[in-house]
Amino acid sequence: MNTFFSDWYYLSIRNIKLIWRPLMALLPPFFMPIFFFAVNSLSLSALAQVPGFPDVSYKDFIAPVAMFTAIFFSAGNAGIELVQDIQSGYFKKLIIMPINRLAIVLAKLTEVAVQALGQGLVMLILLLLWGVHFKTGFLGILTIFAILGIFAMAWSCISMIFALRTQNARLVQSMFILVFPLLYLTTSQAPKSLLPHTFGVITSYNPVTYIIEGIRTLTINGWGGPDVSYAFLAAGGMFVVFVTITMLSFHKALK
Amino acid sequence: MVSKNTNIIEVKNLTKTYPGGTQAVRGISFNVKDGEFYGFLGPNGAGKTTTINMLVNLVKKTSGSVVIDGLKLEDNLDEIYKRVGFAMQEVGLDEVATAREMMQLHGRLYHMSKTDIDAQVSKLLKLVELEKVADKFTSTYSGGMRRRFDLALSLIHKPKILFLDEPTQGLDPHARQLIWAHLRQLNKEGMTIFLTTHFMDEAQELCDRIEIMDKGKIVTEGSPEELMKKHNAKNMEEVFLKTTGSNLGNEEVNANAPDPFARSRQRG
Repeated sequence: MNTFFSDWYYLSIRNIKLIWRPLMALLPPFFMPIFFFAVNSLSLSALAQVPGFPDVSYKDFIAPVAMFTAIFFSAGNAGIELVQDIQSGYFKKLIIMPINRLAIVLAKLTEVAVQALGQGLVMLILLLLWGVHFKTGFLGILTIFAILGIFAMAWSCISMIFALRTQNARLVQSMFILVFPLLYLTTSQAPKSLLPHTFGVITSYNPVTYIIEGIRTLTINGWGGPDVSYAFLAAGGMFVVFVTITMLSFHKALK
Repeated sequence: MVSKNTNIIEVKNLTKTYPGGTQAVRGISFNVKDGEFYGFLGPNGAGKTTTINMLVNLVKKTSGSVVIDGLKLEDNLDEIYKRVGFAMQEVGLDEVATAREMMQLHGRLYHMSKTDIDAQVSKLLKLVELEKVADKFTSTYSGGMRRRFDLALSLIHKPKILFLDEPTQGLDPHARQLIWAHLRQLNKEGMTIFLTTHFMDEAQELCDRIEIMDKGKIVTEGSPEELMKKHNAKNMEEVFLKTTGSNLGNEEVNANAPDPFARSRQRG
C-alpha cells in the first residue's frame, strides 16, 4: 500500500477509536437535537396550519434540522481533540515521524465523517420511530448523509483551524457559540416565505441555509428543484475552503 | 558495530532568534560521534531544548547547518526521522490508547512489517518492564511508567540516534536508575544517545562527552574527567556552577507557542 494511504488508514483507525473512548462522550451531542426537536415539534406544530407553510407536518419540516444539529454539535470536537494532542505533546510525536502531513488532517476528517454517519444513523432511527417520513426513501437518506458528512468535515476544519492557531482548549470550546447564529439565522424553524424580509435576506447569505434546505427538500418534497445541488455546492465549497485553511494553519503551526 | 570515529551529528554555527528578537541559540557548533553517549547540559533557559528541537526540525533554525547521519536536515527530513528517536520533555502519550496499541500504531507509521512490529513491541515492553500493563490505557500509568513507556515508544523503529530531553525529570531514584540501566544497554548495543539533563550526576554517570551551554552559547566541552580536571572541580556539579551563571529571571518563554492574548496585551 502506498505510504500516504497507509498513514491515512492507520491514523484514521486511531482517531475513530477516540469517538467511543470514553463511551459517555457519545451521548451529549444527541441531547440538544432531541430536546429541540421534541419541544419544537410539540409546541410549534400549529405553524403547519399557517397559510404559506408547505403541505407537511411540522415534525417532518424540522426533522432535517435535528439530523443536522446532531452533527453540528459534535463535529467541533475535532479541534478539542487536536488541542489535547498538542498540549500533551502527542502531536509533536506525529510530526517527527516520516508521515505525510495531509494524512494527519485527512485522518481527522475521516473520524469526523464516521462519527457523522453514526450519529446521523441514530438520529434517523429516532426520527423514524417518532413518525417522520422521508419522501425520497433510502436513496434520499443516503444523499442526506453525503451532504451532512461533507458539511461535518468542513465544520470540523474550522475547529481545527482554531486549535492550530490558538492551541487553547477554552478558545476552541468557545467556538461552540457560533453554532447558534449559524443555525438560527436560517430557514431551520420556518420557510423563507414566512420570515420577515430582512431576516430572509440574512438567511440567504448563510451557507447553512442551503444545506438545511437541501436535506429538507429530500425529506419532504422529492428530487426536483435545485436545492439538493445547492446543498452540495455549499457543503463542498466550505469543505474546499476550510481544508485549505487547515493545511495552511498546519504548516504555520510547524514554523 | 560502534565506530566512535565518524561524526553522526554535525552542527555548524547554529542560531535561533525567535520573533520578537530573543536569541535563544547564538552560533553554536559541535559534533557527536557515532555510538557516543553525548551530554548537553545547561541551566534553565540556556537554549538546550531549543537546540535539541532544532536538530529534529521541531523548531526551525534561523541559520547554520545541521547534518544527521550524513544527511542535511532540511533536505532529508523523512529519511532522518526514520533514523532518529526522540523522547521529549513532555511525555506525549495518547491517553485513550493502550501501550501496545500506541506501539503498534507507531510501528505502522514507520512503515514496519507486522512481524517486525510484534517482535519490537515484545522486546521493548520487556526492556522497560511494562509487559504486564501493556493492555491498560496509558492514562492509568504513574509518572515513572509513562517515562519508561515513552522511551520504549521512541525506540520502536530501531533508530540509530536517540534524542532525550530531560528523560528522568520528576522521577524517583529507583525509576531513574532503571532508565539509566536501559540507556547504558542501548548505548552498549551501538546507539548514539544525545541527552539533555539538569542532573549533573546523571551526565557524569552516563556520558562519554559533555558540552555545557549557557545563554545560547557553548561554554565548555570534554569528557567528564577532562572537564573536572580543566575546571579544577571535584564533580560535574562544580564544573557546572563554575562555568554557568544563573539564568533565573532570564529564561525563555516558549516563543514557538501561539499567544492568543498578544493583541489584547498590545492594546494595553
